[in-house]
Amino acid sequence: MALIKRKWTAHEADEWTKEDWIAIVISPFSYILICMGLAMSFFLLPLGFLLLGIGIVITFIMFFVIDPKLKAVSSGYEKKQHEYLKELERIQRWEEK
Amino acid sequence: MVHFAPLDYFWTIAYLILMIGAGTIFYRLGKRSESDFFLAGRGLPWWLPAISNFATHTATDTPMWFSGLVYQKGLYGMWYSLFAGWCAISAWVSTRIFRRSLAGTQAEWQTQRFSGLGAELLRGWLAGWQVALSMFIAGWVGIAMGNVCHYAFGWPLWYGLVIFSTLCTIYVIAAGYWGVIIADVQQGITMLIVIILVSIWAAIAAGGPSHIVASLKQMGQNEMLNPFRMTGFMSGDYPALWMITMIVVPFLGGFGMATHFDWFVEAQRIQSARSIRDASYSIWWGTATVIVRNAIWGIAILALYVMTSGKLSAKEAQLGWFIVGFKFFPVGMVGFFFAAILAIHISSIAGILNLGSMYATRDLYHHYINPKATEKKVVWVGRVMTVVVLLGSFFFGMMIGDNIIDWLFFALWLMIAGTWLPNILQVIWWRFNSWGYLSAWIANLGICWLVVWVLPAFGIIPDLPDYQQFWLLIILVAAVYIPITFLTKPDDMDRLVKLYVQTRPIGFWGPVKREAERRGLLQAIDEIDRKAEQMA
Repeated sequence: MALIKRKWTAHEADEWTKEDWIAIVISPFSYILICMGLAMSFFLLPLGFLLLGIGIVITFIMFFVIDPKLKAVSSGYEKKQHEYLKELERIQRWEEK
Repeated sequence: MVHFAPLDYFWTIAYLILMIGAGTIFYRLGKRSESDFFLAGRGLPWWLPAISNFATHTATDTPMWFSGLVYQKGLYGMWYSLFAGWCAISAWVSTRIFRRSLAGTQAEWQTQRFSGLGAELLRGWLAGWQVALSMFIAGWVGIAMGNVCHYAFGWPLWYGLVIFSTLCTIYVIAAGYWGVIIADVQQGITMLIVIILVSIWAAIAAGGPSHIVASLKQMGQNEMLNPFRMTGFMSGDYPALWMITMIVVPFLGGFGMATHFDWFVEAQRIQSARSIRDASYSIWWGTATVIVRNAIWGIAILALYVMTSGKLSAKEAQLGWFIVGFKFFPVGMVGFFFAAILAIHISSIAGILNLGSMYATRDLYHHYINPKATEKKVVWVGRVMTVVVLLGSFFFGMMIGDNIIDWLFFALWLMIAGTWLPNILQVIWWRFNSWGYLSAWIANLGICWLVVWVLPAFGIIPDLPDYQQFWLLIILVAAVYIPITFLTKPDDMDRLVKLYVQTRPIGFWGPVKREAERRGLLQAIDEIDRKAEQMA
């Protein structure tokens, strides 16, 4: 079994899995490192370039991990969305309840 | 005072026509339906709401408080701007859940997440709250424009507040969210280009990056380049607990919904995206651009610090970025800079007016007052409500005056402190019910004013630092909603099961999941998925 699952069915992608948690953990670090790294890089500080570099690499890893799953979640859900929307429009009206 | 050459007038007038025209031209799309007027038909590719996200969150007040903080604290001040970090986790968690719910607004989500009278009260409460908050934010952003025009042209504050917000209302009324999105795209691109140009100009004027670093060292302000400085856990000007608060609160807030008031704006963009993936990417990349923007601003402000030897007063420093643009841009480009300020201003105001109107129309008028209203009538009410929110913003704008930063921290952090945890619990914990959530909102509203303003004024509690006020509010409000949650019944299982099957929330939903399995609902959904995959 691969460390990172890259092929998903819509059914499998509905569950929260380690791929989600990898994205959840990496994402804040990505923002912090890019923000601070870029700001420090503008002043040509070596630490800034290091932080920015790490930020870009982990951002790439994050999207590599989460994108296949998001595609599967989306394609599976969009098929049901129409029915859900119709139902939602019905319950939207206060007097019909 | 800023002097305008004829070319500067040309830039300003041409850009105003372009902005209003680009928005208004989508009049026909905006009037097609309620969904078009408020959600652009729910079919946008991710990059459109992403640019809109960036444009809306780059408001006239943003460079003001950002300049004030970075001028005072150096790169350390950038931590304040990371409140936008809630999108880091939200993009992969609450955005996905909310997009699957298909709720048009956060208020509408309440009647999907909760049940019975409590849910309806919450929907009404959140809708009313959001209408008022939209007025407040539009007023706050509007008066920031008033301050900029006062600095640049010597106008009375209310000129800048009223003139430009009124002009952008034209395309919001005409084309609704379609107009907002389309105008945001050209406004977002324009403002990013100008932000980069101003920083380049400022860095050159200050002698380049190396000279700025050397000057800061000479001035004994080397630490201004260190965003990670600390003076102890809770002591000194840079306590570790402050930084921990600034990291933990926004980022973990991404597990919930409405943990930051920007969520309400994002919720509209999430539902306007054409798929879950598009919604997630729009949130992540829109905020990533905000974060890059902050880094670009940083060099302009520190360049100004060096050029002014750090001698600007706090109020002057708030106008730092504007001073750089007006002073260092060449003649003929000053008008282009002012056009970019207009883009910054109008994109935020337009988005907020449409948002406030959506809550007033969709959640108050259409849900409670006239559920049988035709699409045409709803769109018209939407237009009227846009004007109502605009007028309310004038009142709040004049109330705030030139006190932008003082209001910022209160509005951004403390007014939502007590509801921060409940906003997460509503997503991750099935047992958190409508009465617990409603009590949290009401208790927070009272307690935040007491802790921040009233009790310190009477000397009953000391005037605490903002991050300590935040944690204190979390504890005090929790003392209200946790007992209420356990003393009242859970929400109706039918409603919870329906929500679970549709949105698949993260966290502690065990009993609801088991009930959905017992009813065969998850298996039925999975069967639909399998059949669809086989057919594909």
